Amino acid sequence: MKFLSLLIPLLFLASFIFALFRKVKVYESFTEGVKGAIPLILSIFPYIAAVTMLTKLLDVSGLSAKFSEWIAPCFEAVGIPGEIAPLVFMKPLSGSGSIAVLTDILENYGVDSYAARCACVAYGSSETIFYIGAVYFAGLKRKKLTLALVIAVFSYLVSVVLCCFLCRIM
Amino acid sequence: MNILFTCVFLLSTLILLFISPENFLSALLDGASRSGSICISLLATYSVWLGLMKVWEDSGVSRGVSKLLKPLAKKLFKTDDMQTLDAISMNLSVNLLGISGAATPYGIKAAQLLDKSPHAEYASSMLFALNATSIQLIPTSIIGVRVAMQSAAPTDIVIPTLITTAFSTILAVVLTRLLIPPKKQRDNVDFIRHSKGVNAAV
Repeated sequence: MKFLSLLIPLLFLASFIFALFRKVKVYESFTEGVKGAIPLILSIFPYIAAVTMLTKLLDVSGLSAKFSEWIAPCFEAVGIPGEIAPLVFMKPLSGSGSIAVLTDILENYGVDSYAARCACVAYGSSETIFYIGAVYFAGLKRKKLTLALVIAVFSYLVSVVLCCFLCRIM
Repeated sequence: MNILFTCVFLLSTLILLFISPENFLSALLDGASRSGSICISLLATYSVWLGLMKVWEDSGVSRGVSKLLKPLAKKLFKTDDMQTLDAISMNLSVNLLGISGAATPYGIKAAQLLDKSPHAEYASSMLFALNATSIQLIPTSIIGVRVAMQSAAPTDIVIPTLITTAFSTILAVVLTRLLIPPKKQRDNVDFIRHSKGVNAAV
């Protein structure tokens, strides 16, 4: 796995050298891009805040413990660790919300634990299905996306099972 | 999300009323302050990758990638319209680089253009399948979070993520192809044009 830590520095190296050849002003260009990070964060902050408050409430009220207790056996039957159940439900709904849930899992179980790695892969390999459906196809007249939605959710659930299996063997 | 948020919020508040009402406000404040620290670490991640992406854009790498994707897009979406293909390939290439937030504007544009294409239902479903299953080469935000939390091996998850995301995307594309076959829907085009006009007027 050593070569993976080389991947990102090499990517930057190659990109910057290529940009130099193309006579791009790297510094100006890079800072221009970084500028875009602020509006992006501002646009997701309210959702992250709302969900972290909600998860804290869930924790304090003991509901999340009860919920995991119920749902964990079903998940473990197909090889998904029960600890990541909240993430599996949150991810299709909200990306920023699931970042909050993911951070919780990483903090509670340790960033390099099995459950945490499963959570990372499940998060990284999926998308906010319902959000994308709502945003991309909101303005359209022809909205026969029910079947497409079912396909996406099905592929997502199968991929979560796969990712937990992969995390166990890799 | 709206219903879910409201119901769960109300339910846990009700429970707290009975077990420990004094913890209510502190839980909310605690949650909000956590969101601050999450956003700071995300801000760091986005700064790094959006900076790099802008360099890619200015040096023509993004255009190159999207040019490479164009033949594939043509085949998958069954359309010849250049403008549509442009939007789709930009959407796909930004997705591949792992910042889905930046892909959204192109995705919306592609969805609107595809709505007018001859195979609208199939093509829109295909766009949805690709976007909803996430196709990315480097899971940038996850690596960022793992680095921020001092993981011993932050890039450990890259290969499982790649396999999983490739698998789910292929599964969704194949299912879409099988269950929503491309068929001509020209009769609806006029209707769509008309309704678009109405929307614009509103």
